Amino acid sequence: MQHTIGLPAAISGTVAMFLILTQLACFRSVVIGELIRLYAVQSFLVAGIAAVVAVTTHAWDLGVLAGVTFLLKVVFLPGYMSSLVRGVSKRVEIPVRINVTLSLMLAAGVTGLAILVAARLTETAGVFLPRADLATALAIIFIGFLLAILRPNALAQVVAFLTIENGLFFGTVTLAPGLPFVIGMLLLVDVLVAVVVFGVLVRVLVDGQNSAAIHPFERLIG
Amino acid sequence: MSILPFAMVAIPASAGVASLLLPSRVGRVLTAIAGVATAICILLVAWATAHGQGRTDALSALFLLPVGIVYGTVGLYTYWYVRAESTGHDERHQREFLALTNAFACAEVIIPMLINLPGAWVALEGTTLIAALLVRMQGTDAALEAAWKYILIASCGLAFGLLGVVILYASAVHALGPSYAPTWSVYLAAAHRLDPNSVRLAFVFSLVGFGTKMGLAPMHTWLPDAHGAGPTTTSAMLSGALLSDALYIILRITSITRAAVGPQLPEHIFFIVGLLSLFLGAFFLLRQRDTKRMLAYSSIEHMGLIACGLGFGAPLAIAGALLHVINHAATKSMAFYGAGRIAHRYRTREIDQVQGAVTVLPISGTLFVIAALALAGLPPFGIFRSELMILAGGLGTSRWVPAVIMIALLVVSFAGLVRLVTGMGAGDAPAVPHGERFGIASLAMVCGLVVVVGLGLFVPASLGTLLTRAADLVFGGAS
Repeated sequence: MQHTIGLPAAISGTVAMFLILTQLACFRSVVIGELIRLYAVQSFLVAGIAAVVAVTTHAWDLGVLAGVTFLLKVVFLPGYMSSLVRGVSKRVEIPVRINVTLSLMLAAGVTGLAILVAARLTETAGVFLPRADLATALAIIFIGFLLAILRPNALAQVVAFLTIENGLFFGTVTLAPGLPFVIGMLLLVDVLVAVVVFGVLVRVLVDGQNSAAIHPFERLIG
Repeated sequence: MSILPFAMVAIPASAGVASLLLPSRVGRVLTAIAGVATAICILLVAWATAHGQGRTDALSALFLLPVGIVYGTVGLYTYWYVRAESTGHDERHQREFLALTNAFACAEVIIPMLINLPGAWVALEGTTLIAALLVRMQGTDAALEAAWKYILIASCGLAFGLLGVVILYASAVHALGPSYAPTWSVYLAAAHRLDPNSVRLAFVFSLVGFGTKMGLAPMHTWLPDAHGAGPTTTSAMLSGALLSDALYIILRITSITRAAVGPQLPEHIFFIVGLLSLFLGAFFLLRQRDTKRMLAYSSIEHMGLIACGLGFGAPLAIAGALLHVINHAATKSMAFYGAGRIAHRYRTREIDQVQGAVTVLPISGTLFVIAALALAGLPPFGIFRSELMILAGGLGTSRWVPAVIMIALLVVSFAGLVRLVTGMGAGDAPAVPHGERFGIASLAMVCGLVVVVGLGLFVPASLGTLLTRAADLVFGGAS
């Protein structure tokens, strides 16, 4: 099994840009169904990048991982999330802690931070950490955190967790494509189980208050 | 001996499956037997490792011990707990609780036995998922909130941990090739050829990620809620065993980082998060009104103390920190069992409403007060010894400022804990039934007491050997 580090710069840069755009678009969306569709699009992109790495490096195991990623993250998980949404109502508006414009500005800020951090680190780390890939992975993770903080809704927070995981998957595929296949599969299984557990808690929450809003989750402080 | 590692995983796994399928009265017995049997297996593995037998290294064997102590006593305590707390819960609920408790223990046993980093990450994330379901089983609104915060914060925190794992992998690609087995020994052997800045970055991300699970400040916010709102046995397993599992992974990465880039970065960061955890733990402990949340903040404080021990970097301080992990597991689980017994009798966890616990519950109440005093750092208990080792090691390195801050914060937490707990133990007892028989729950606490007092009076030669070897492993990467 032979892999090489990094992707051809053009493909990597283009996909990275679209990944960050889909992540930023999550802040524009105030309906949970849209958020789930954006997650599906983003997952399609990370599955695609895994497939490209598989083809360029002739790594069959990465190709299988890309296929499983597609089935799990583009087909199954969005479907499962949509079924959770139907348990609440047909159209779930997501409350926001701050308005969309300010959210987008903050998201742009953390993206800039990710690019600066990656640039600074890779300056000294030389060729071992591809700058654009590290910056993209960090940006997706940082924006995912921001999304989880700024959207006080259980379903939106699950989507935020899933987008963070997409950032990690992108980082794994581009920074460490040789990471053993079994580990990659375990990570996917882990995500699947995590979403099911999240789903159990969401159902309990919805049963209790007929909403996925998490404002009741402000009792345990200090 | 070669079958023991397999047995340590197979026993809780089998008990978990059987508990789900069989009546809960059988599941309780199986859980108690599985806990004790696993603890015995772990003791045998640790003994064998100390005597140069088996394939487990000293650090793994050492970190299996807190899991063994906690699971062994949790098994016994669960036998009483499920029966006592069964009112209002159906048979299926009890079976699920027993199955999840055993599954949680199984995942906790697996982590110190894994030799590769990504595998350890997966297992640790597995514990998050199981623990979230366990915390939720208390059935209250507070339990749901705690479970939600726990899974969200821990999972997002672990995302940083995984990024650290990935960057560490990338740091060795130029030395080991694009595809290699990411085991501890491979990294240590190639430490001098790893890319230094990537290793530094990996260490920082890993500490943030796994430090979240360890309850280090400022990533600790899930801990008081989950420990406070979850079932007593889950609180004991979270505090006594899971925090040490997360520390185990951090120590493995620390040994690689020290070998690759030297001790400065890890030591500085350990000081920062350690002193911050000590500070928050000590001062938030003072204002607690809930018994289990008080113990939770005590956990944050003790994790801070361990981090400070690692920050000092001296072999004695590191050995003290490692001994502290075992002492904390035994003492904290004992304190949680006592808190659970008191809450069951008084029907409240409010500290202000509990008085005369020593009179009302002569065994559990007294043992709870002893455990809390031990947590405060009183001699002759084990925690006093390990704190002294950490301080002596630290003062030996002439790092006076952190050592003095550490002592001041320990005094604050000592005063707070003693004030709160003596108020609970002494005073006039309210109108609740008095007296108790020595049962299996008391036995669980007595087992903890034996460890807590025993390690205060002397450290067995085999444990001493394990501590020295494990400290060497962390200190210099030697096996």
